[in-house]
Amino acid sequence: MSAPAVETRDLVVRYGDFTAVDHISFSVAPGEVFGFLGANGAGKTTTIRVLCGLLRPSAGFVRVAGRGYEDGERAIKAKVGYMSQKFTLYNDLTVAENLDFIAGLRKLDPGYYARRRRELLELISFQKGLDARVQDLSGGTKQQVSLAAALLHDPEIVFLDEPTAGVTPAGRERFWRLIRLVAGQGKTVFVTTHYMDEAEQCGRIGLMRDGRLVALDSPAGLKKSVFPEPVFEFDPLRSLSSSELSAYAAHEAFAFFESYGPRFHAAAAGPEAWARWAPELGKTFRIRPIAPSLEDVFVRVVEGRR
Amino acid sequence: MTFSWRRAAAVARKEWFHIRRDPFTLALALVLPLVMILVYGYAIDFNIKDVRLAVSDSDRSQASRRLIDTFASSDYFRVHPVASADDAVRDVAAERARTALIIPPRFEKDLLAGREGRAQVLIDGADNATVGPVSQYVGAIQTLACRRIAGADLTPSYQLRTRFLFNPELNSRWYVIPGLTVVIMAILSIFLTALTVAREWENGSMELLLSTPVQPIEIIAGKAAPYAALAMLAMAFVYIIARTVFGVPFAGHLWVFGLGCLLFLVAYLAQGLLISVVARQQTIAMQFSMLTGMLPSNLLSGFVFPIANMPAPLRVIASIFPGRYYVELLRGVLLKGVSIDILWPQFVAMAVFATLMIVLSTLRFGRRLP
Repeated sequence: MSAPAVETRDLVVRYGDFTAVDHISFSVAPGEVFGFLGANGAGKTTTIRVLCGLLRPSAGFVRVAGRGYEDGERAIKAKVGYMSQKFTLYNDLTVAENLDFIAGLRKLDPGYYARRRRELLELISFQKGLDARVQDLSGGTKQQVSLAAALLHDPEIVFLDEPTAGVTPAGRERFWRLIRLVAGQGKTVFVTTHYMDEAEQCGRIGLMRDGRLVALDSPAGLKKSVFPEPVFEFDPLRSLSSSELSAYAAHEAFAFFESYGPRFHAAAAGPEAWARWAPELGKTFRIRPIAPSLEDVFVRVVEGRR
Repeated sequence: MTFSWRRAAAVARKEWFHIRRDPFTLALALVLPLVMILVYGYAIDFNIKDVRLAVSDSDRSQASRRLIDTFASSDYFRVHPVASADDAVRDVAAERARTALIIPPRFEKDLLAGREGRAQVLIDGADNATVGPVSQYVGAIQTLACRRIAGADLTPSYQLRTRFLFNPELNSRWYVIPGLTVVIMAILSIFLTALTVAREWENGSMELLLSTPVQPIEIIAGKAAPYAALAMLAMAFVYIIARTVFGVPFAGHLWVFGLGCLLFLVAYLAQGLLISVVARQQTIAMQFSMLTGMLPSNLLSGFVFPIANMPAPLRVIASIFPGRYYVELLRGVLLKGVSIDILWPQFVAMAVFATLMIVLSTLRFGRRLP
């Protein structure tokens, strides 16, 4: 097996007294689509900044595309592409001017740049002219052009920090098709998201909570390991008062009980308790067994609910 | 880790696109200096003419009339006869007159008797701006009046002849315009750059920039260059207005002037960049610019208050800012026609300041993300 595209061991980032990233270790294989999930402030963006060469870690081992901080930040920056959550492109500049700017900063050979730009605009099937101002593009198109900008220097790994925030569902779907295309070309895609349907499409997912990596597996693997118990959907037959709800949330029959739209997802606490309570609960709910969703995993692990 | 011209040029080009598409910046840079120089150039006039002079003549003699005529025939005073000395004082108090001339009854008699003739001039001391020039005029007129009253009898044993070099008519605009240029261009330059880096921190584009191999010095240089070009253009406009509208002379070399302007502008643009790098927020950068751009160039450049008269600590502070050197340089080049052999200390001082600002902003730029 080839060397990992990304590898960290006991990575720590401290800001003064605050530990933003607390001893996380993982590795990502080349060509993998790796998702990073966690609440805001869990340390996802900080970790990505370290991996992009933007932030020197306080301690620990980091290797990205075969380069580490001992080679200098710029060695890492040359090998990776980055698309941040806050900013995509300069709105008052045209698409061509934005891409020219990045090409200039990366000192791309003019011939190579022209070829690569054509290639990438084809990849994202960009229809508007190169002279279109970015402010006139739709949110989804902006993100796609921004992805092209991050791929301009043909990096081995591309880091996408919430790339689909504020994009329409159709736009998100198109963007993920691009992610799969890019991964198909052998590039490693490292992506953070708040959308569970997007996380579902990742090869593996790392879950972060309070600066720690609390779980790491494929979506299916996570569901299995986080929910070893049988999981049911509870559809209430009548409306429930809030005191009833909090009683159910603490009920001894459940290891997990969370609202899911108008219904509820619950995991059985144990076979005996479940057998004892199931008939009683059947009077209030229509109960059917389901596979847990990634959202259930997220709620249980990241938000730490029972 | 060498400086890359290509990366700096990419930053400069991008910045130039921003400027070109931002009418506010363009207006700020090109229109504001013109408006300010025209408004201030006309408003600030230290030449004082037609000062109202309340005259109480209790002597009504040939000598007293000659004295009054001398005042009246100068361009500086407009004579306004009053009935008594008390009336004259009242006029000054009520600001109907700036100055009063009071001639006592025995003025001519005393003169003829060979004693000293005595008349009194009162100047409104509450209006500081007029005191200096008016008392100068009074002195000059007194000498003239003495001679006219005494006729040929009195030949002074010696004469002190004063000639004003470089500005023979003491045209105050020639003096004000260079000072104004300093104030206007200093504020403009700081404002132009103060927001550019802070803006990129605020909208997150700085993170993207830093994710490429670009170095702080390349960003700083790339950002300064287009604004320097813009500020030089503004300076050229100001120069043309100064020469054509206000008739300010130009005695020196154009290249000395151009080089001096460039150094001065770069110094202040770099100061703006430093503010932007440190503040990282546009509102804070704005306030810092006001404070560090406006105050020193107004108060410590020697434009309004002579630096030589300041207490020592203020003199030291004034020596840090490029404003004072630029005032000296402008007066030197425009009025005195001196060149770099005399002005080199000013050039060196401005170059040191500019370099210091650029080095500090590069160092402070850091790579730390918030």
